[in-house]
Amino acid sequence: MRYSAWFATYGPSYLDGLGWTALTALGASAGAILWGCALLLIRLAGGRGGARAVDAYVQLFRNTPVLLPIYLIYFGFPLIGLPWPAVVCGGLALVLQNGAYVSEILRGSFKAIDRVQFDAARSIGLSPWKTFRKVVLPQVLVYSIPALGNQVVLLLKDTSLLSAISVTELTMRAKLLTEQTGAAYEAFLVVAVLYLLLVSVTEVIFRTAHRAVRWSR
Amino acid sequence: MTSGSLLLLAQAAGVSLLLAAAAIVLGTAVGAGLTAMAFSRLAVVRAAYRVWVYLVRGTPVLVLALLVFYALPALDLRTGPYLAGILVLGIYAGALFAEVFRGGVLAIPRPQWESGRSLGLPPGAMLRKVVAPLVLRYALPPYVNVCVMAVKASSVLSIISVWELTFAAREIIERTLAVFTVLGVAAALYFVMCLGIDRAGKWLERRLMVRGFVGEPA
Repeated sequence: MRYSAWFATYGPSYLDGLGWTALTALGASAGAILWGCALLLIRLAGGRGGARAVDAYVQLFRNTPVLLPIYLIYFGFPLIGLPWPAVVCGGLALVLQNGAYVSEILRGSFKAIDRVQFDAARSIGLSPWKTFRKVVLPQVLVYSIPALGNQVVLLLKDTSLLSAISVTELTMRAKLLTEQTGAAYEAFLVVAVLYLLLVSVTEVIFRTAHRAVRWSR
Repeated sequence: MTSGSLLLLAQAAGVSLLLAAAAIVLGTAVGAGLTAMAFSRLAVVRAAYRVWVYLVRGTPVLVLALLVFYALPALDLRTGPYLAGILVLGIYAGALFAEVFRGGVLAIPRPQWESGRSLGLPPGAMLRKVVAPLVLRYALPPYVNVCVMAVKASSVLSIISVWELTFAAREIIERTLAVFTVLGVAAALYFVMCLGIDRAGKWLERRLMVRGFVGEPA
């Protein structure tokens, strides 16, 4: 088959899948970073109980595969009266899992902040919340850029698991096309290349961001 | 949940652990080979290493699994999902192990190389007596992390119809609709396996610690 004919037949399907994968990854990454920040806040401001709860949460999600929360939310939420669309269920599972990793990344960067800054913040009369938002968070996020990039790449690859709950992202598209055409590994080869493309773009974005904020050190 | 379902899940957890163990053995061999490539004298071999690691790490495990699952029969190799699954996990873990080992070699302090050379150690002895013991210690914590990842990644094989813990959990859910209990038990089993590996790694780390060794990683 000529390339143009191939593209006319299958191109739209792959592009649609690519769009869903990119959109899910983007939304879930943003959610995971926000959730990670919230977990850091709970750890820092929640006293001993808060820190212990966050530790337990992180341990739980670190030691179980992502497929479990994906199935739990997708199959479980309708039973408790929350019949959400599959993308939302899967996205939420990715946010919950990756948020745990993000909070650990942020915690590592938090240790790099000089204690003197907290004294300085207090001496100019910043409230604890303002200290967190204006002093802690910006520095923690900037220090974490490379590690966050790795995490976003992992999340991006994990969006492929949403094909198991019928989200029509890239992997699902390849499955559907395989059923139509019977050309299985060709379809997955195309999809693998598209994932590599997305991963490379993500890496370039984070590398550029890292370089852009070098002032911080 | 019936005791029958519980037994089934426990058996399935055993299968998951076996799959991961096989993948770790295979992946360690693959990783060691790849690491040798990473330090090759030939630029072509080093480039091949980088390309391979980039390809494997840039593709989701599920896509790798589906590729191998469908590509092997096309190559007239009918292996069934179990062997295909172990192969995929081994390839995936191998690329991660390779990066771990490479990091371990790079962490060896320069004086170790120099003193080995000045003692006139032949390359084989250098590898056995200097490089291997140091890499073992430097690389152990990330190595254990990858082992935990292998256990978690084995759940993905349920999608290519490998009967392991996640597959069994789905099967039981379809029969009983007990979503929360079944997935809760499955999560607990994964948790115990992963935490067990983690603890075993920490124990080994302490066992291997050489008191008074001042060779901080470079």
